Amino acid sequence: MLVSSSSPDSASRAAIRLLKEWLPGASAVEGSGDLELSSRADQPQLISAEIVEGKTLRAVRVPDVTRTMISGFGAFLDGTQKVRLIGRHFGVPIVLGTTSAAVRVRVNRRLVTWGHQPPRLEQKLYLPLKYLPPLTEALGAGSQRKYGQFQVVDTSIPDASGAYPSEHPTVLLERAIRAVDRQRDALEDELAEAWCARGEAPLFIDGSITRSPHAAASANAIGVIKSHFTLYVEGEALRTVVGLAKGERSSVFQVTPKSRSAVMSWYLRQRDPEGHDVLWGLVRVEMSRCDNPTERADEISRWVLAETSPLALPDGRWDKMSYGIRDAEEFLRAIS
Amino acid sequence: MTEALGRIVATERKPNTPHEFHFWTAIDSPVGIGTIVRVDGANPMDGQIPHIYGIVVEGFSYTDLQSPMHDVLGHDGLPTMASYSVTERAEIRLYTAAVLRQIPEEPLQPVPMGQVFLAEEADVQVALRMDSYLREGANTGIPIGVYRAGGTEAVIYLDADFLLGPEAAHLNITGVSGLATKTSAVEWLLASMFRHFPEDKGSIAAVCFNVKGPDLCYLDQPGKLEKSDEALYEKLDVEPKPFQKVEYFAPYNAKGLALNTFRNNEALLDNVTPLTWGLREVLQFAEVLLNRDDIDAKADALIDFIVQNVVDKEFSDPLLSKKHTVQSFADLDAWFRDVLRGMEQKDGESWRTHHVATIRKMRNRLSNISTRCAGLVTDSGAVSDLPFGSFEDRTVYVVDVANLEEDAQDLIFARIVSKLREHLERRDLGVKHLVVFVDELNKYAPGDGPDTYVRKMLLDIAERGRYLGLVLFSAQQFRSQVHRRVVGNSGTSLFGRMDPDELSTPGYAVLSPATRTKLATLEKGQLMIRHPHFTQPIFVRFPRPAVMQGREGSERYPQAGDVSLDAAILRALRPLDPAITLPWVQEITALFTQEEVIRARNATLLARPENVKAYFSAQFRKIIPAQPATRPMAASIKSAPENDPYGF
Repeated sequence: MLVSSSSPDSASRAAIRLLKEWLPGASAVEGSGDLELSSRADQPQLISAEIVEGKTLRAVRVPDVTRTMISGFGAFLDGTQKVRLIGRHFGVPIVLGTTSAAVRVRVNRRLVTWGHQPPRLEQKLYLPLKYLPPLTEALGAGSQRKYGQFQVVDTSIPDASGAYPSEHPTVLLERAIRAVDRQRDALEDELAEAWCARGEAPLFIDGSITRSPHAAASANAIGVIKSHFTLYVEGEALRTVVGLAKGERSSVFQVTPKSRSAVMSWYLRQRDPEGHDVLWGLVRVEMSRCDNPTERADEISRWVLAETSPLALPDGRWDKMSYGIRDAEEFLRAIS
Repeated sequence: MTEALGRIVATERKPNTPHEFHFWTAIDSPVGIGTIVRVDGANPMDGQIPHIYGIVVEGFSYTDLQSPMHDVLGHDGLPTMASYSVTERAEIRLYTAAVLRQIPEEPLQPVPMGQVFLAEEADVQVALRMDSYLREGANTGIPIGVYRAGGTEAVIYLDADFLLGPEAAHLNITGVSGLATKTSAVEWLLASMFRHFPEDKGSIAAVCFNVKGPDLCYLDQPGKLEKSDEALYEKLDVEPKPFQKVEYFAPYNAKGLALNTFRNNEALLDNVTPLTWGLREVLQFAEVLLNRDDIDAKADALIDFIVQNVVDKEFSDPLLSKKHTVQSFADLDAWFRDVLRGMEQKDGESWRTHHVATIRKMRNRLSNISTRCAGLVTDSGAVSDLPFGSFEDRTVYVVDVANLEEDAQDLIFARIVSKLREHLERRDLGVKHLVVFVDELNKYAPGDGPDTYVRKMLLDIAERGRYLGLVLFSAQQFRSQVHRRVVGNSGTSLFGRMDPDELSTPGYAVLSPATRTKLATLEKGQLMIRHPHFTQPIFVRFPRPAVMQGREGSERYPQAGDVSLDAAILRALRPLDPAITLPWVQEITALFTQEEVIRARNATLLARPENVKAYFSAQFRKIIPAQPATRPMAASIKSAPENDPYGF
């Protein structure tokens, strides 16, 4: 997932012009960069997971790792989002969210866009309609509410308990950002499921595959997670993971997130962490559950290690990022 | 319609302009330096989709790699590891093209965004403005070669009005030696011109000065062609045949026995004519052979006096011991001696306003000419020349001066060009347009050095020749060292493979680095062309000339070595009459001096009589064969006469 920062674009200007027509009190926000969440709802955490390869979590040297090993991945999936505060209406934030996702297929060692499903690109206005003057006339009715060229997402709908969000501008802004996040996830899942339905080759997915039951159950969807906000190890297992050397993986364990699909997972050290942070070059790999986790984890680990060349530089996350994912992000940056 | 092969891109740092644009292509696209492309604009202007034609002048390739060090790190410092990467980095092929033409031409705007297509044959014609002279009613196109890119193969035409006048004229070729570019290109272009020059524009011929090697000596002999050449000939609508009408001219060697040319093999002598001049012809161009210090007003006046009053006239003067009729250098020397003798006797310092020192100096210089130009200048005054006044259409006249001393070369060049010019001015040369080909312009028209007679003549042709129909095709290795007014007046310029040092001179700064690199690596048979209709240089491929190359010719027809006088006479006369034999020649010439025999030979070759034997024999003075003495014997006296006072 990429959160980019860029100067105001033509879409932002078009959106604010439109809003000014319908919301006379709206004012444009100039020079707003792309927004990220200022805080997360949950804290960094350690969670114990069920070991499915052996009794205890241990370091395993991935066998047959050579300079000439090949990768079984046939394509790479990634999504991006841009969240921009384009205006305010008496303090109420007006957010333009751009989400995109694409599958880049490897053909003759070069990456091209998957022909069966075009890349997804959506631009939506994220508005807390409860706190704005009625726009029903302009929006029309139904779930596909449109405002001019933009679809509108209401960020002020009540939660499960029926409570509306606070009118605090920061709360409303964070609600908008989370809504854009979800939209990007939805686009990625849509493409992942379409890929798995065709069953052509394993797909390298940037992030977790647990959101989509289809992806989580498919042998062709492999999730590679670069961020470790949640570590699925505790105690001695944690020391084992942070102590992994280059080319080593952890034992396979099962991840069962709440309201998501269960998958098998393991940690893999892609680069030598000597002199770096303990999480340097460390990724967590997810795959669908299977009967032979050891062989499968070794095979997929070799593929992931093979994808470390060429380097994903100049991206700052190059220690964990594969070049295919960087290519997908650059592609999405170009089209969005 | 073909598929687009590129897209226009423009950034603030690299914007498109009315004369330049940028586009990218797929990695495997057939675009390269020199490729002609067409851009279709996205938005109509005045109801017309704009089309922009351009030629690729620069190319860039790069990846998303920010620093070379990243690649080193990514492959652990081992270059061989790079080939094992499962993915190739994203890579771009970005090209810069120079605009050839925009349609509509007004208003002239920066190139718009749009798709880029490989130019097809029709596009090439429009891009290079060839449509204006290939249309019905004009038809002045002269094929120069074929442009190739991707699947496109388009004939490139030069406009005859801009190659041979009157709009512009002259052609200059530059290229390193030894790559069969300069001479081959001229041979090919002459063949193309002879085939395609419009009939309604009149007749055309060429005079080629062969200044080095045997390359121009076998233009009438078939050469070896490959299939690819034959295909090019067919595409260019020119028959792959040697020139049908070629005439060779060469002076004799210093001994006067054999022609001083690579083409003096007996099998090829039928269209080789000796080039010999007498005193009158040489004196008109004495300036060519005299250096700047020799020629002053006084010397000039004396030469003029001699030409006007002495040569070919019966000249008498009280100072002289006898009447003189000066027809040769020998006669002239006798005349000089008589004048100087008379002045000495009279103890005078001047004669007829000419100072004795001037007379002595001119005697010295002029007498020397027959030695310096031996073989060309005859003492006898016999003249064998180019057929001024009866030049024939589509004929090549080759003057072989390759083996001559520099002085003789200069004299030949100066006199022939002057005569050509005179006849063209009078419109009585025999043809309306004449191409003069001169190689080694670095030598004959250098940018620096003394202002020689030959350089002045070349400048004169370059600047005024097109009005007369006199067109200069010139060639050299280093264009930068040729006089600027000669190359500057060449409407059309061809470039073969170039020397990198030459390319680094300021004259080539207008070319992009990529174009210069391509010029430095051109293959045989490739040329870069600049022509008044083309706003940018174009690369073409031309076929190998359908004539025998110099090396092959000199192997198949070896140059004749030194021969005896009899053999030389036999060799010269047998093309006129194959029945002539060596014994016959020996019998006829046995009693005469070498000078007399050579004079008879020259007269016969000049006259080309029907009965060669009779004509040749008639050139010798009558010699009554010696006979035994037949003094009548006195009758013997039988007895003394009577009354003889002395009798016994």
